[in-house]
Amino acid sequence: MAGGKCSCGCSGKGKNPEYTVNVNGVTTLADLPVGAKATISKIMPKARGRKKFADVGLVAGAELEMEAHAPFGGLLRVKVLDTSMAIHSEDAANIVIEKEED
Amino acid sequence: MRESFRIALAGNPNCGKTSIFNALTGARQHVGNYPGVTVESKSGSFVLNGMKIELIDLPGVYSLSSSSPEEEVVFQELTKPGIDLILNVIDSTIPQRSLYLTTQLAELHIPMLLAFNMSDDARKKGLKFNISKLEKYFGSPIVQTIGCRENGVRPLLHQLAKSLHELEDHGVPMLSYGNDVDDAIRAVTEKIDALDQNKYSRHYSRFFAIKLLEHDAAAMRIPELQPVAPEVETQIRHLWDVHAIEADTFMADRRYAMLAGACRDAISMSHERRREISDKIDLVMTNRFFSLPLFFLIIYVTFWFTFTLADPLMGYIEDFFAWLNGMVKSVWSPETLPLLRTMLTDGVISGVGGVLVFLPNILFLFFAIAILEDSGYMARAAFVMDGIMRKFGLQGRSFVPLVLGFGCNVPAIMATRTIESERDRTVTILVLPLMSCGARLPIYALIIPAFFAPKYQAFVMWLIYIIGVLVALAAARLLKSTLFKGDGEVYLMELPPYRMPTFKSLVLHMWDRGKMYLQKAGTIILAASILLFLCNTFPRKTSFSQDYDSEIEKIRQEKALDDAGIELLRQSGALDPEIMAKTEEDRFIPSEALEECREEDFPEPVRALLLSSRAAGEEMEQLEKKKQAEMLEYTISGRVGRALEPLFRFIGFDWKLATASIGALAAKEVFVSQLGILYAEGDADETSVPLREHLMKNYTPLQGFCIMLFALLSIPCLATLAVIRRELNSWKMAALEAVALFLFAFLSTAIVYQLGTLFRIGTRFLA
Repeated sequence: MAGGKCSCGCSGKGKNPEYTVNVNGVTTLADLPVGAKATISKIMPKARGRKKFADVGLVAGAELEMEAHAPFGGLLRVKVLDTSMAIHSEDAANIVIEKEED
Repeated sequence: MRESFRIALAGNPNCGKTSIFNALTGARQHVGNYPGVTVESKSGSFVLNGMKIELIDLPGVYSLSSSSPEEEVVFQELTKPGIDLILNVIDSTIPQRSLYLTTQLAELHIPMLLAFNMSDDARKKGLKFNISKLEKYFGSPIVQTIGCRENGVRPLLHQLAKSLHELEDHGVPMLSYGNDVDDAIRAVTEKIDALDQNKYSRHYSRFFAIKLLEHDAAAMRIPELQPVAPEVETQIRHLWDVHAIEADTFMADRRYAMLAGACRDAISMSHERRREISDKIDLVMTNRFFSLPLFFLIIYVTFWFTFTLADPLMGYIEDFFAWLNGMVKSVWSPETLPLLRTMLTDGVISGVGGVLVFLPNILFLFFAIAILEDSGYMARAAFVMDGIMRKFGLQGRSFVPLVLGFGCNVPAIMATRTIESERDRTVTILVLPLMSCGARLPIYALIIPAFFAPKYQAFVMWLIYIIGVLVALAAARLLKSTLFKGDGEVYLMELPPYRMPTFKSLVLHMWDRGKMYLQKAGTIILAASILLFLCNTFPRKTSFSQDYDSEIEKIRQEKALDDAGIELLRQSGALDPEIMAKTEEDRFIPSEALEECREEDFPEPVRALLLSSRAAGEEMEQLEKKKQAEMLEYTISGRVGRALEPLFRFIGFDWKLATASIGALAAKEVFVSQLGILYAEGDADETSVPLREHLMKNYTPLQGFCIMLFALLSIPCLATLAVIRRELNSWKMAALEAVALFLFAFLSTAIVYQLGTLFRIGTRFLA
C-alpha cells in the first residue's frame, strides 16, 4: 500500500485509506514468500470482497501456496483449490494465514 | 412431445464451456450484448433428433452471488422462466472448485445435466470418479466429455436427448449444509411458500431461501420476497448467536465442506500429477526479470504477424475496389445520371472499400488475440503489466488494447472485451482514441517535412505520439478519480493452465469479430461515406470565376497533335503500340504515358513534341484542380468550413483546414486529400511535394504543429465513434466522448497556438 494508493487509482482520496499491518506476529497472505505454503486462518471481517474470495475458495481453512509476485508490485499469484489466482496485495493483507513449517 | 427447447450453458471461467458450445452449435452462433451491461451474450442453435435446441452460453462465473455483472446476468437468466435445462460444464481436473457452482445451480431445481469436461486430462492426472454416486448426490445425470475433440461431445448428445424426454421427472439433489444451516433454510423456505406468490413459483423456494440467508444482493432486491426479510434476519442472528457463524461467508464455507465430503466419497486420486508443464512455462513467463521483455516480444510478434500477413491481402482488396470502381465507371457512361454514378463509385464503393481494406487486419489480429487468449497467455500478460497500468488507474488487461490503438482504434476498442471490470473497461475505451492510430500518420507525414528541418522531424513525430499517450494516461487517472470513482472492484483473476487452442475455436472467434466489423461497414460506414460524399459534392457550382471547361478545351484544340506529329511519334517508338493507338485517336498523349517516358532519351524533334505535350497536359491539369477547389469551396463542407473559420481562427486554422478537419471525421487520412483538393493539388497524398509547398507558403510551423495536435486529440473517425457506441451500449457515452474530445482538443490547441503566437515560438521555419 505504498503511499496510501488504493487500487482504483483514486490515491486514497475517495475515503480514508485503510491499512492493515503486521502486528503481534499475525502473518497475512501479503507476507508469504514465493514458494511457501500456508493455511488461511481468518479473513478480516471488514475486508472488501469477502464473498468474492469465498467463491473462489479463499475461506478459512483453505490451503494455499504463493506462486509468484508480479513485477512492479501489486499482484500476487496464489494457488488455491488447484487453481492459480491473481489477487492484489492490498486484499491479500486482509487474509490472515498460518504458515506451514516445511 | 415438444419441439423446441432452451438450454442454458453454465460453468466456471476457463472450464472449457466455450469449446462445448462451439462443438454443439458450430458456426450457428449469435453474439450480442445483455441490455445495460457490457457482458457479451452468446447463443446458438442446433437440431437434435428433430428437436430444435437453442443453447444460451452464459458468462463464466464461479458462483451465483451477483457480485459481478456476469454473475448478475447469470442469476437473472436462470431465475427468469424459459430455461428448460441447465447444462453445467465442469472442469473435471479440478472437481472441487467446479462443483461449487453446481451446488448452487442444483438448488434452482431446474433439470440439469453435468458435463465433466476435459475428462482425458483428469484421467491423466489420476482422478477417478464414482459417477453414479455423484449423480445421486446432485440429482442430475453426468457425462464425461472432451470438448476440444470432435467426437468428445457424442456422449453428451445421447444423454441430452434422453434428458429432454424426461424433463418432468428429474432427480432431486441431496444437499445438506449441516443441521444448523439446514434448519435455518427450512424456516425461511416455509415463509416463502406461505407467501404464495406466483412469479417465482416455478422455482424451488429453497433456492431463494439460501440466497436470502447469504444476503445476496440480487435476491434481496426482489420485491415479492420482501415480506420474509424479518425471518431471514432472525435466522441469521440465530446462526451467529448460537453457532458463531459469520453471516456473509458461511454458505461458502458449508459448500466447500460439503464438497470435501462428497469428493472424499466419490472422487479418488491415484497419483498426484500436477500441471507440471504449465507450471514450468510459467516459471519463465511470469518471472520477475524475463516476464516484461518476453511480454514485449510476444506483443511485437503478434503485431508483426498481423501486419505482415494482412498486408498483401489488403493490397488485393484495394485493387479489387479500384477495379470495381473503374469497371462501373467504364460501363456506366458519364452522360447518364452522372451524379448517381459518382455517388456509387467515389462515394459508396470507395467508402466501403476504404473500410473493408482493414478486414484482413482485423481478422488476423483477432486470430492472434484468440491464440493469446485461448492458450492462457493473456492472463499472464495482464498479471505482468498490472503494476504499471495501475499507476494510471487502469489495469493489466488495458495494455494490449491501448497498444493496438496505435494500429487502428476500431479493433483496439473491440479488444477491450477481455477487461472484466466494467469500470476499467469503460475508461480504457474512452481514452483509447487518444492513441495515435495509423490513419493519423499521413497527416503527420505531410506536415512534419513541410515545417521542420530533418534533424527535428523524428523528434516532432515522437512528441506527437508521446503527447497522445500522456494525455490518455492522465485522462484515465482523471476519469478514475472523478466520474468512475469508487472502490475499485476486487481484482481476482484466474491464471488458467496453458492449453493448446483448437483451430476451430480460433476461427470462430476470428469470424465473430470479423462479422461485427462487416456489419458496421455495411451500415454506419456506408451511411457516413454517402453523407460525406453529399457534403463534399452539393450544392454543385455551375458558374465559376473563369470558364475552366472551355479553357481546357481550348488548350486541347491548340495543342492537339497534327498528322506529322503522330507520324513522328510512331517512328520514334517512344510509346507502346497500345498507347500509340489511343494517342492517334485522341490526338493527345495520355498524361500517364508521358510521365513514364523520358524526353531526354529522344532526338530533338520528338523531344520538343513530348515537352510541349507535357506542358499542355500540366496546364490542363492545373485548371482542372482549380475548378475542383472552387467546387469544394461551394459545397456544404466548404461552407461549413467557412462558417467555422471565425471559431477555428483561435487555434490557427483557416477555412481550408477547418473544412479538411470535417472530412477527417470519415477517416483521419481524408484530411490530407481534402486539403489537397482545397489547395488545387487534386487528389494529393502525404508525399505530395506541391501540397507541402502550399502549406509552407500559407502557414507557420506553429500552425503545422497545431494541425497535428488537433488531429491527434480531436474527435476520432466515425467508425471509432460507432464502435464506442456499440461497445459501451450507449449513444450518450459516444456523443459525450465526441464532445469532450473536441472541446479538449480545441482548448489545448488554442492554448498552444495563442501562447506560441504571443511568445513568437515557431512562427518561422525551424532550421
